Amino acid sequence: MVCALGIEGSANKIGIGIIRDGEVLANVRRTYITPPGEGFLPKETAKHHREEILGLVQASLKEAQLKPADLDVICYTKGPGMAPPLLVGAIVARTLSLLWEKPLLGVNHCVGHIEMGRHITGAQNPIVLYVSGGNTQVIAYSNQRYRIFGETIDIAVGNCLDRFARIIKLSNDPSPGYNIEQLAKKGNTYVKLPYVVKGMDVSFSGILSHIEDLADPSRRRNKRKKPQDEVDPEYSKEDLCYSLQETIFAMLVEITERAMAHCGSNEVLIVGGVGCNERLQEMMRIMCEERGGKLFATDERYCIDNGLMIAHAGAEMFRAGTRMPFEESFVTQRYRTDEVLVSWRTD
Amino acid sequence: MVQPNSINKTNESTIRVPFDSARHAEIAFRVLSVDLEPHRNFVQKKLSLEGDVLTVHFSADQVKNLRTAITSFFECLLLCQDTIKQFGAPTLDQNAGTQPSAHTA
Repeated sequence: MVCALGIEGSANKIGIGIIRDGEVLANVRRTYITPPGEGFLPKETAKHHREEILGLVQASLKEAQLKPADLDVICYTKGPGMAPPLLVGAIVARTLSLLWEKPLLGVNHCVGHIEMGRHITGAQNPIVLYVSGGNTQVIAYSNQRYRIFGETIDIAVGNCLDRFARIIKLSNDPSPGYNIEQLAKKGNTYVKLPYVVKGMDVSFSGILSHIEDLADPSRRRNKRKKPQDEVDPEYSKEDLCYSLQETIFAMLVEITERAMAHCGSNEVLIVGGVGCNERLQEMMRIMCEERGGKLFATDERYCIDNGLMIAHAGAEMFRAGTRMPFEESFVTQRYRTDEVLVSWRTD
Repeated sequence: MVQPNSINKTNESTIRVPFDSARHAEIAFRVLSVDLEPHRNFVQKKLSLEGDVLTVHFSADQVKNLRTAITSFFECLLLCQDTIKQFGAPTLDQNAGTQPSAHTA
């Protein structure tokens, strides 16, 4: 029996989760929301996390109706992510580990997402599409590693959406991606955008520049183009959101399908914050059904960064015998998914 | 600008932080010893422990770097102290969940 407490704070969410033998006991979270047009910066985000984290630890213990003595292991996000917010989680995890005399485990954020998704949906050996504000990867398991088959070569898909939301001044509450999704439902005219798939990899920064120009021509960076040369038609925000979603999601579906064909897999699991976008799920489901496959996805409680996924992945590692010396409980901004030895899977 | 006679001299700062008990001081010492100073910061940080007092010594070529290192150290120290304060009391709040300060997300 493993009872684990997990602390996640690699981006603008701070979350604590408690899991006991796969049973969800607590999952609490707070999000740092910035005004429209602004993104979240490391220092301010860390400040937000510092103010919220201890209250959340209390809340999670209360929700789980547990005493600290009931826990077996404390887990925290080791990386990847922004260093100052990551450090907030690490400091509290270390202190609790020593105060309560419980072992401490650092968990890879991406592996946390994958394991949580597998656990909630019951997917056995899926192709994983991990899409969030900081990561875009197509992942398949092989020989004790989660191997990256394709990824973004510049910005993450969520970063592209978030930054577009800033340009058109959408609210960041509850998340910019959610508000884009709602606007996109009202769009009906497809605006042609660049479609950038390079082998198994994708690129979003060029698409972002292009659509930024369409949304707000006054920001145009290419000053050599004389304004009178062309009269851009006015596009509505709704149409731009719709077109952006259709284009970038089609790219993701394409590389996921290719990974399925390559691995001979008929399961797809979508994880990460962008994974709760219903249009992405719908497009992926169509592709899966055409291939006789099955799509697995979770809702916002488990898709969006949460402490529970760190607790769950940590519990799996702990059960398989993984231990970490206290001196190695640092954080790291870069920590690739395939660096982790998946000791808890034997298939 | 840097005055000529201050070049190559070291700026130093020592902070002494007392704790409720030697155990809590040792916890803070171990928690805060993990993180190394960033390479490009050019600051030397040394933590030591004397009973219930945690001592941190900083040295740097530039005052500006010293300030950066101390500021970020204080943020970590305060968070560690707050955590000890809320969760460190022995037996007193074994029923930790009953404190009123938290809400569910």
